[in-house]
Amino acid sequence: MSKTKNFSPSRVIAVTWRVLTQIRRDRRTIALMIFIPALIMLIFGFVLGGQTKNLPILVDNQDAGYTVHAGQNSTSFNFGNEVLSSLQSDDQVKLSQGSFELGKTGVDNGTYYAAITFPANFTEVLILRNAGQSINAPVTIYIDGTNPTIEATVLAALQSSLQNTFGSGGVVLNEQFAFGGIQFSSLDISIPSVISLVLTQTVLLVSLIVIVRETTSGVLSRLYATPLSAFERLLGYSIALLILGMAMTGIVLFMGLGIFGAIVQGSFALLFLGAVLYASLNIFLAVFLSNFARNELQAVQLVPLITLTSMALSGMLIPVDSFPSWVQTLAKFIPMYYANKLFEGIMLKGYGISNLAQQFIILSGIAALFFVLAVMTVKDKMAD
Amino acid sequence: MVNPSSYSPKEPVIETSNLVKIYKEGAIKAVDGLNLKIGKGEIYALIGANGSGKTTTISMLTGSLFPTSGEIRVLGLQVPKKRRIVAAAIGVAPQEYALYSDLTVEQNISFFAKLYNMDRSSFLKRLDELLPILKLNERRKTAVYNLSGGMKRRVSIACALVHQPRIVFLDEATVGIDPVLRAFFWDYFRSLAEAGLTIVLTSHVMDEAERADRIGLMRAGKLIEYGTPEEIKQRHSASSIEQVFLKLSEGAVADE
Repeated sequence: MSKTKNFSPSRVIAVTWRVLTQIRRDRRTIALMIFIPALIMLIFGFVLGGQTKNLPILVDNQDAGYTVHAGQNSTSFNFGNEVLSSLQSDDQVKLSQGSFELGKTGVDNGTYYAAITFPANFTEVLILRNAGQSINAPVTIYIDGTNPTIEATVLAALQSSLQNTFGSGGVVLNEQFAFGGIQFSSLDISIPSVISLVLTQTVLLVSLIVIVRETTSGVLSRLYATPLSAFERLLGYSIALLILGMAMTGIVLFMGLGIFGAIVQGSFALLFLGAVLYASLNIFLAVFLSNFARNELQAVQLVPLITLTSMALSGMLIPVDSFPSWVQTLAKFIPMYYANKLFEGIMLKGYGISNLAQQFIILSGIAALFFVLAVMTVKDKMAD
Repeated sequence: MVNPSSYSPKEPVIETSNLVKIYKEGAIKAVDGLNLKIGKGEIYALIGANGSGKTTTISMLTGSLFPTSGEIRVLGLQVPKKRRIVAAAIGVAPQEYALYSDLTVEQNISFFAKLYNMDRSSFLKRLDELLPILKLNERRKTAVYNLSGGMKRRVSIACALVHQPRIVFLDEATVGIDPVLRAFFWDYFRSLAEAGLTIVLTSHVMDEAERADRIGLMRAGKLIEYGTPEEIKQRHSASSIEQVFLKLSEGAVADE
């Protein structure tokens, strides 16, 4: 018997060669390996490359203006109007005008991110201040504090417009937060979208593996020869996965609310219902996608494709309002976009079912669509 | 070329005419104009080299794989058209173990029993019959991944027999089973056949094939010889089926 080496580079290379050859044989995996990173980089490039802009706000300019008399000459000023037109030319915000009350309602129901009002004596106070009086003009802003990026962008736009008009100082910003008047911590604000991200990732992964494992174990080909129909099998998978999905939802919510103390201003039951709905949607998506994965490797590669695309497009990183309009349209096809709105609505804004009916209906519709697609594509015989 | 249609069993339970299967991937003609007739209570052995089309044939007979052309009748019903009805009356033990390895022996068999709508009490009664015969009594609560290859094979057979089918398909059923147990199995198969069960099995173990009532020898998707073991041996003046097989397979070793 020849002496066996303790370490043999050629054995190492044999393993390397074997792995690479196996991958090379799996054409679908190669396609996914090229396509998925390229697509994800592309989406992130588009999303992160843009700056936050076009945020809808409402301004109620009550400013009556002020006329300065200097001998024969008199000059009229209206700083409110000047700030308004400066804001109008700022593409970070998209300006509407109307009553402050209308604006506040709009912020409460998500139409605007902020409502701003300049008082009747705005110009007067500023001019008197300029003449030496130590007074400040109050500007009231009622703002959505559920997204720090948006909040900062709106405030920056306002500050720069004020500054453009009459330099720094002289204005007191009276900031009122919508949704219970809470200034949310960054943890509070991120938890809703983290919940949808974790649900997407874990539910998809578990569901895909459970189903694809049946294919690779060889049992599936045996099941084809039993009275079990493809529809029955699919329904069986779905119910089992729904039970798992509910357990996973429970864990995610427990961690988010119990451990990290995230705020839930709305109903917990509604939150759980919404989370289970979103988990079901992902289960049906997985059942559908499992048709396109022949092995666990292919299945697992589909998961980051969906989670990362969702992360980029759902508004989790950058507000959807700032996307180019065609990317905004694309975002409307991402289920997580609606899930984020749903969870944010319940947790941060304290919305009830009446405010969120649209999200519930759309998510249920997408879930139903995925289920129908799964039923239509489920295999009930061996590959020809 | 032999003509199997000259054989007419009293009560045919499986009939195929000009059965063809061409796989899309690779355009391989796996089964090429197969005519089979198998009678009730027969033990029928499909023999042939690897890649000769035995498993493809079984998959089509069970309705799991759709033929490219040709006709299949199982228990008088068209397959794959009526395959869900046929499925209730057949059992299949595929070539790979095809079991849920995380489940116990009993859980695996019970899963299949439920697919055939067996109620709990008749399942338990049936389990008490099957486990001693298949020598699995002590493994009832053992997870399948802890079993040896031969034991897994027996669990797989139990899953195929649990609902007392009228036809059972055993693809390479006795691979990995030791000779003593194999002899015992054959006695068991014989008793089942006498009770009216039709057994279709594939094998490339020739001495095993000699125990069958009738044999179909496949090569490159075609039936090249058929009949009772005695008839075949006489026709080729051979002392064993293995000799016949080697003679007919000469120069025709198909790739797996």
